[in-house]
Amino acid sequence: MGAEQAWLLAAVPAGFFLVLALFGRQLPRGGDYLGVLSIVSAFVLFIVVLVDFLDTPGKLGPVVNSMEWSNVGEFKLRMGTFIDPITITMFGVITIVSVMVNVFSVGYMKGEPRYFWFFAVLQLFVASMLLLVMADNLLLVYIAWELVGVCSFLLIGFYWEKRSATEAAKKAFITTRLGDVGLLIGIILFWRATGTFNIQEIIHAAEQGQIGDTYLFVSIMFVFLGCMGKSAQVPFHVWLPDAMEGPTPVSALIHAATMVVAGVYLTARLLPIFEVADGALLVVTLVGLTTALLTGFMALAQTDIKKVLAYSTVGQLGFMFVALGTGHPAIAIFHLTTHAFFKALLFLGSGSVIHATHHNQEMDKLGGLWRKMPITGTTFFIGSLALAGLPPLAGFWSKDEIFVALNDKWGAWAVLILGFAAVMTAFYTTRLFIRTFMGKPMDEQVHEHTHESGFVMTGPLMFLALLAAVSGLVVFHQVGKGLGFPGGITEFIFLPGEHPHRYHIDWGFAAASLAMATVGIWGAAWMYWGNSLKRSTALAEWNPGVYRMLKSKFYFDELYQAVIDRGVLGFSYLVSWFDRYVVNDTGVDGSAQVTGFTGGVLKYLQTGRVPNYAMAIALGVIGLTVAGLVVRG
Amino acid sequence: MVPLENYLVLSAIIFSLGVYGVLARRNAVLILMSVELMLNAVSLNFIAFAAYLDPDKITGAIFAVFVITVAAAEVGLALAIVIRLFRNRATSNVDEAAIMKW
Amino acid sequence: MTFDEGQGYVVLATMAIPLVAAFLLVLTPGSQKMAVRYISVVTGALVCALSIYIFAAYQVDGAEVQMKLRWVWIENTAFLGENGITLYFAVDGISATMALLTGVVAFAGALASWKLDYRNKDFYILYWTLLAGVFGTFFSYDLFFFFFFYELAVMPLYLLIGVWGSTRKEYGAAKLMLMLVGGSVLIWIGIFATFHEANLGTFDLQQLWAAGNDGTLSPTFQKTFFPLMVIGCGVLAALWPFHTWSPDGHMAAPTAVSMVHAGVLMKLGAFGIIRLGIQLMPIGAEFWMPGLMVLGVIGAVYGAIAALTQRDFKLISGYSSVSHMGYVLMGLATMNEIGITGAVLQMFSHGVMTALVFLMIGALYDQAHTRDIKDFGGIAKVMPLWVIFYAIAGLANVGLPGLSGFTAEFHIFVGTFRTYPVFGAMAIFAAALAAAYMLRMFGQVFFGPFNPRWSDLKDLTPLERLSGGILIAAIVVMGVWWAPFTDRISATVTHLPGVTG
Repeated sequence: MGAEQAWLLAAVPAGFFLVLALFGRQLPRGGDYLGVLSIVSAFVLFIVVLVDFLDTPGKLGPVVNSMEWSNVGEFKLRMGTFIDPITITMFGVITIVSVMVNVFSVGYMKGEPRYFWFFAVLQLFVASMLLLVMADNLLLVYIAWELVGVCSFLLIGFYWEKRSATEAAKKAFITTRLGDVGLLIGIILFWRATGTFNIQEIIHAAEQGQIGDTYLFVSIMFVFLGCMGKSAQVPFHVWLPDAMEGPTPVSALIHAATMVVAGVYLTARLLPIFEVADGALLVVTLVGLTTALLTGFMALAQTDIKKVLAYSTVGQLGFMFVALGTGHPAIAIFHLTTHAFFKALLFLGSGSVIHATHHNQEMDKLGGLWRKMPITGTTFFIGSLALAGLPPLAGFWSKDEIFVALNDKWGAWAVLILGFAAVMTAFYTTRLFIRTFMGKPMDEQVHEHTHESGFVMTGPLMFLALLAAVSGLVVFHQVGKGLGFPGGITEFIFLPGEHPHRYHIDWGFAAASLAMATVGIWGAAWMYWGNSLKRSTALAEWNPGVYRMLKSKFYFDELYQAVIDRGVLGFSYLVSWFDRYVVNDTGVDGSAQVTGFTGGVLKYLQTGRVPNYAMAIALGVIGLTVAGLVVRG
Repeated sequence: MVPLENYLVLSAIIFSLGVYGVLARRNAVLILMSVELMLNAVSLNFIAFAAYLDPDKITGAIFAVFVITVAAAEVGLALAIVIRLFRNRATSNVDEAAIMKW
Repeated sequence: MTFDEGQGYVVLATMAIPLVAAFLLVLTPGSQKMAVRYISVVTGALVCALSIYIFAAYQVDGAEVQMKLRWVWIENTAFLGENGITLYFAVDGISATMALLTGVVAFAGALASWKLDYRNKDFYILYWTLLAGVFGTFFSYDLFFFFFFYELAVMPLYLLIGVWGSTRKEYGAAKLMLMLVGGSVLIWIGIFATFHEANLGTFDLQQLWAAGNDGTLSPTFQKTFFPLMVIGCGVLAALWPFHTWSPDGHMAAPTAVSMVHAGVLMKLGAFGIIRLGIQLMPIGAEFWMPGLMVLGVIGAVYGAIAALTQRDFKLISGYSSVSHMGYVLMGLATMNEIGITGAVLQMFSHGVMTALVFLMIGALYDQAHTRDIKDFGGIAKVMPLWVIFYAIAGLANVGLPGLSGFTAEFHIFVGTFRTYPVFGAMAIFAAALAAAYMLRMFGQVFFGPFNPRWSDLKDLTPLERLSGGILIAAIVVMGVWWAPFTDRISATVTHLPGVTG
């Protein structure tokens, strides 16, 4: 057993999915222990793969293993795994967060209907997600990509009795599916140019210049559309906040830590192609910047804790794309990792709050919960500061890296935009924390019945809080070395042909980064301290137009709704009308009516009178005889 | 020997009488009789031609016998229909039996 | 008796068993409803087993055409020379796949009709006659019998829909019948013209194909008669704009007939395009295929868009069938190996998943007596299994990887992109629309607040579960491990004239 058998990582949870889906209903406790067992086995397998990978004498070269899948003449498909440092890191993130979320769910989902189904789909999700990051070819990536999408659909719509949950699930699936149209087109375009789906071979072909410039740019942009859809980048971001209709552990696992980063992962995986394609990196950067900025604004006016976190997730995904836009996959993956930990922590923390307050997630009804829920409060505090970017917590190091790289690549203008987004991040995070955990409770009744959650839920919180605090330190050479890696994360992940670079603190940027976080935190603290809304209300009233725009999230949803209702559905009605009245009633039934009408007219020749028929025969005979004589001449 | 033309003229006269009867008469029985006249005219032609063209063979006579057979069968059928018609409608006028239309 | 000959008798038996069953049913008194049911289900199981055997026994590495069996009917008389008209059965990779599809769907349909009570003897007589016709068409290597069985498969539909159907059944049955017979007339003309032009005195398809290939059928002839053949067969394959029988016909047809009709009969049309179009008139095919491609794309997009706002379950499925058969036609029109293989995959995939969809619609309609999706809500509460089965069929429809729809559509897209990237992109977009109309229906019917009017609904019966389970097994196997299918299909597709690698 070694890195070649990494496919087992996906196979094990998939097997547990089958068991849970088929027999879960009959098992005691809905088989939740099988779910935990499944994920823990995946985690153990990950450790085995990791150790084997680090021991490989080939100096961390990728481990490849593939088999023939099907042949149609010259069209040969191979399926296989490709294990390199990026995959290993993703394995770690996925398995660790999954273990925590599974354990947390045992407490959080207790007593829910379809309990077993929740765990079953969770296993399927983990299996698909692991498959996604280990796939060696784009076809397999696409397969896993759709599978995680369908798991997301099932889990967002878990409370299907609620119309809003069903709508949200539908919206998520269809929006990402629109991006996937681009992804599939891109994949097939690459196949058309290179004759293969294998990622490494495509990268090689692109680097060798075997693909025309425009063709390459168009293809990679199609692929990037898929990444934007999955990672909820503007203008595809609308589905993610709605996806918060799903159970909170799902939001933590799928819509914060793992599935939504699939786009980041795939872009990182294909980054050499983005570098070759002229202008592609700029597009990636601009998309990331736009998203980070816009969603920062949108998060400011939200009052639902999960929605704030959702917009924050979209924004942080924007940060990751900005990191990718600098051409450094390591930084994006680094931010992905730290973000996964602290955002999963924040979501699970909000889940703990929601659970404790009996499904209350409106800030307008919360406040002052720290005393009631000390563990949740403290861990949430750590997570918030990590998100805001205070040293030495995880978020600081990865954001700092992004700023440095961004400055090198695109210059100060980009840093300014992203810096503003970072200030807003710190601001809304602090606002979220103060309004939920500090000051006076907004609703005494809710406050009264609140109590700290059990250990099965606080345990994962504490563990994730630990990771949120220290995981950023893996950027340092010594820390990485100590863990058995060749060095810090930037020395572990780097593009082939590039040199690993060792991390050194850039004091100027560190100070600037710290200043941004502080400004944001101070601003929010000044405005909301003691959970008082006096100052913020005054601000909102000072310029109601801006406030309304923020509150309605720049009218994206309204715009899309109008396009769908007026455009798409209207067109569909038009086509249906055309089909019914033009093609069917005019074309098909029309020809039937013409036949019927002709028959109706001609039937009067049938008089029923024998003499008429006899006369017709006689005249016919005479006519034929005359005609015969004439023809014969 | 009587020339062939005489037979043919006779045959043509009988045939024309038959045609006139079929076209002009309204009584079903009379129409049937007219049809018989036409058939007999044809038989006469067959026999006359056979006798003149190839006296050794009796091909024409055979055909005449066929025609008689068919005519008999036809009259049997037709009279049955006429009787049914008369039973149902109390008439043998074919103009009044014009229900088999449209 | 050689091995190949022995297998030929298996092929013959697969066609003959339904006929024998129909004959047995004629002898069974109509009051013995249980006996009728048992005969039918046993026949279904036998046919299914035989078709699986044929599929498995087809040697990928062997000769292209296997399991031959030839019985001379008429030869050396009048205008017929040697092997004039023969009952000539054989199997190639495409017909092996289609036979498997027919066997599976026939069995599932026989199970689904168990609960049918009104004149079930007559129903099953017609049902098995129809299926004998379908098998015969897939196996025939003689043009005369090809057409004979084709008509045998089409004719019973009129009675099956007209007697046992529902919504506007007379209209649906009459329209379907007249359009299909209209198509048959075109094929009939094409067949006689081909016989006359080839002047070989035989209806043997392989000899006629050779004639089409070596130019005995002149290019002008092929270009003239190819559209006749393709439109004639295309009517049955819901070729746009000759598709309108599909929504109305499906709406009118009873469950098992919808299953067999959408599942298998529509494939006869596409199969006919391969046999009488691509194989018989390769020059004509080369000339006309871009046109077929355009019609296929229109059908694929048009069906998907029209399905978006339908309210009747069966109309949604009817239009989605138009869309999916559009993919089949696109795949055929690519004239390359990947695309045509994808088209045959799609024929199989669409067959099993549509059969499952109609099975589920029937299971609901029999109890609810309405098919308006606006009437439903939260059905998952009372019929969880039904929802899961339907969801699997729907997701296969959408092209979810791991289910058969993806395998097929993927091959078609790749094949199309090779020659027509823009059309390929449009087809992929139509697949996204499929997600929209499917999920709209899911959200309306399966989920949302429960409508208490439906609290009496029962979940699937054991027989329906078995029936659906067989179909789901086929869907999943093809979605996950498609090599057995592609191996067989491409072994034949490689030999098609005019097909590029």
